[in-house]
Amino acid sequence: MNDYLIQLTKNPIIQKLTNAMGLPKPPIELYRNNQPWEDRPLNDQSVLISQIQQTRITRTLAEIVVKGGGNPFIENDDAIVEIFNQVGKGYGRLPQSIIKGELPDKLPPKILIFDATNLQKPEDLNPVYSFFHSHLRSLAICGRVVILNPEITDQTDVSTATTARALEGFTRAMAREIGFKGATANIVYVAPDAQSRLEPVLRFLLSERSAYITGQPLHISTQVISDEAIPKTRPLDGKTALVTGAAQGIGAAIARAIAREGARVIIMDRPSEDIPAGKLAAEIQGDLLFCDITTPSAGDQILEMVANTDNGLDIVVHNAGITRDKLLVNMKPDAWDQVLDVNLRAILHVNEKLLPIMKNNGRIVCLSSVSGIAGNRGQTNYAASKAGVIGFVSGLASKVSDRGIAVNAVAPGFIETQMTARIPFATRLVARRLNNLNQGGTPDDVAETITFLCSPGAFGLTGQVLRICGGAIIGA
Amino acid sequence: MKNSKNRQAVIIGGVRTPFLRAFGDFTPLSTIDLGAQAVKGLLKQFPVPWKEIDSMIWSGVILPSATVNVGREIIFDLGLPMEIEAYTITRVCTSSLCAITLAAAAIERGEADVMIAGGSDSTSNAEVKMPQSLVHKFAPVVLSPKSTVKDYFRLLTHLNPKKDLIPQRPAIRERLTGELMGESAEKMAARNKISRQSQDIFAMQSHQRAAKAIETGRFASEITPVELPDKKKVHADNIVRGNTSLEKLAKLKPVFAKNGTLTAGNSSTLTDGAAAVLLMELEKAKSLGFSPLSSIRSWSYDAVDPTDQLLIGPAISMPKALQRAGMTRKDIDLIDIHEAFAAQVLSVLKVLGSNQFAKDRLGFDHAFGEVDPKDINIHGGSVALGHPFAATGARMVITMVNELKLSGKSTALLGICGAGALSAAAILEAV
Repeated sequence: MNDYLIQLTKNPIIQKLTNAMGLPKPPIELYRNNQPWEDRPLNDQSVLISQIQQTRITRTLAEIVVKGGGNPFIENDDAIVEIFNQVGKGYGRLPQSIIKGELPDKLPPKILIFDATNLQKPEDLNPVYSFFHSHLRSLAICGRVVILNPEITDQTDVSTATTARALEGFTRAMAREIGFKGATANIVYVAPDAQSRLEPVLRFLLSERSAYITGQPLHISTQVISDEAIPKTRPLDGKTALVTGAAQGIGAAIARAIAREGARVIIMDRPSEDIPAGKLAAEIQGDLLFCDITTPSAGDQILEMVANTDNGLDIVVHNAGITRDKLLVNMKPDAWDQVLDVNLRAILHVNEKLLPIMKNNGRIVCLSSVSGIAGNRGQTNYAASKAGVIGFVSGLASKVSDRGIAVNAVAPGFIETQMTARIPFATRLVARRLNNLNQGGTPDDVAETITFLCSPGAFGLTGQVLRICGGAIIGA
Repeated sequence: MKNSKNRQAVIIGGVRTPFLRAFGDFTPLSTIDLGAQAVKGLLKQFPVPWKEIDSMIWSGVILPSATVNVGREIIFDLGLPMEIEAYTITRVCTSSLCAITLAAAAIERGEADVMIAGGSDSTSNAEVKMPQSLVHKFAPVVLSPKSTVKDYFRLLTHLNPKKDLIPQRPAIRERLTGELMGESAEKMAARNKISRQSQDIFAMQSHQRAAKAIETGRFASEITPVELPDKKKVHADNIVRGNTSLEKLAKLKPVFAKNGTLTAGNSSTLTDGAAAVLLMELEKAKSLGFSPLSSIRSWSYDAVDPTDQLLIGPAISMPKALQRAGMTRKDIDLIDIHEAFAAQVLSVLKVLGSNQFAKDRLGFDHAFGEVDPKDINIHGGSVALGHPFAATGARMVITMVNELKLSGKSTALLGICGAGALSAAAILEAV
């Protein structure tokens, strides 16, 4: 599971050699964070902010940056500086006003934010161009770029819709250009009145927990109705979570991360996985549930388990999944049935049983795949099941949002696991480079994203698919 | 003893030793000696019958390893009755304020009627330790009855002169962040945009006010002279420089960062000293013929994140103490804030004026309010007087209760910051 190229970059002699020979730079080892959530994820990082004009979310943005521990730098606009001043005074994070296009002391900004929520016409793209044109080069290693965009709805006028969508294309292209330095760029659509839900999303996107998410649009809506408090640390204290297929790989990483943030985790897997599952349970003080998810009684077994220990579930992560790759013409009915059974029918069946015992403000997260978005040769069965999952979350989201339940999916790209380690050497070599960041992701990248989606603060997101693919060349 | 519900603890008075720069005349005196001198002076000025004293709470930051319960040793050294119970606490720079409020709580709870509380520190006697690795190598051989000459010889050959034999300086860095406190304060100055000049102006104010207080005899009743081993007597503080000026302060070089703003002139210095306070239950005080100076209306002990702004805590504790007292800013006559660094005090004052801070960090609707640096510390503070860690809180209480009596004012709010990002505040009310 080791990426030998990243190992090479750590060797100073090799670094000098490759530089001297003019070889292309090997990928950068991404800054990651799998420690417990902290109060100030942006601690002491320089955050460069620009806006077309003052917007409805300027003050929210100031609070997010300042409370997150960031040091704000504002392109010259006195009204905005004044707002940042008011907020920053209480935290010793006073804004520094800078002249357009210039940085004080050649400071490399770690984070670039452009708030475009009040854009209306194509000319409004010009300040976006000039902001990134002048600052992108100085963006720090593993930096973060976030563009805030107005949500496009049926009421949006044509000019605004056009401009907003243009910005998404801009972001995706920019993400490809900054990937070589481990930096990411994402765009966040903010629905009217949804700015109060922006903070947790930005705290995640701007942190090192989102290392492998880039070129993504996220949509923050007011659809989920929730009155739950939003803790900044230990977000899952007191919650009960079920993770299917949790014994190994990504599932185990998810169980660990969710447990680390305070949740009691029910580790569910097949009986044959009892050794790794048992070890994991001891490590995270979780509960074990052995059952094959495709058996008809699986739902009842979960219900019984939950009824015995708690009065409901807060979090369900549908992680269990299998692959049986074959070209369609060669695929036996068994391979087709097994994949659809585990990856799709089981989710529908288990969900039907579990919905009544889901607590208010619950979270459901499914694992889709980039293969389900873009399709993959030899994976008709797998792609069908993983695309089906996308349909599942978008279909279910609106039906449970009044209970405060958010339903989302994540779509991992190339993740360094035992499963991908079995891919033939040459294919693997190429596959892990086919993205903006020139490297594969880790199970922790997936686990951190899912932990965020399971947290109370993620209630602005529902019915969405978040790709964790380093901006894979394939996929949308 | 009466029902605890109706009991009120009152401060009868207090005294302190002069505060001397470390490695000066007080160098031969340990923290126990300094504490004993302060308590001796206290009992001389407030002659309470010894048998009436129930208990003593002492405090220290640099505790001697020979005996950590400094309080109990003070009782032995002064020949006070062996029945006086004593314990020693440490809560960094808030220690002696904490000892005083613990005593007040114990009295109001009905545990005691007459208590002494205070603190002492001898920074001159901070212990220099041999490395723990030396202890780990020696202990098995020395403690084993079976050890032979051969074992001792082998032990000597195993010693690493560099690692095992070079003594360790006392730790003065924050264990969590590895920063010197001055480095943390330097960061606070930069983040809150506190200029070098405003720090120097504040430091000058502190020195001038302290010098004036000494000149006009304001500290006469609170300082007890200390007798040195050579029978010489020390009567006065020696850190205050009344003749300092902005020009002189501006010439000093930054000490904690190359382009920094903190200098020896606008920071507090290592100091030796002790302070002690006498507390009684109100009715008991009356029956013993003592007239109380003040009660403690409320207090608050808090902590913040040391990796953020290490010394910003008073901005949390002071509004909280005010709220617990059911008071508003207008009800406070005097404000006294411990001056670890001028930059830290000015940062705290700035934050106290922020509504955003009050809302987010305290859950209050309104900020404490802007405070002009001129309106606090009317007799100077730790920058001018020095800062023997565990004596500072008691010094502030003593100065304020005396000031309340002399000026006829009724309330004083104290705020103290400390290592580990601790903080404390208390409101004294004249009775």
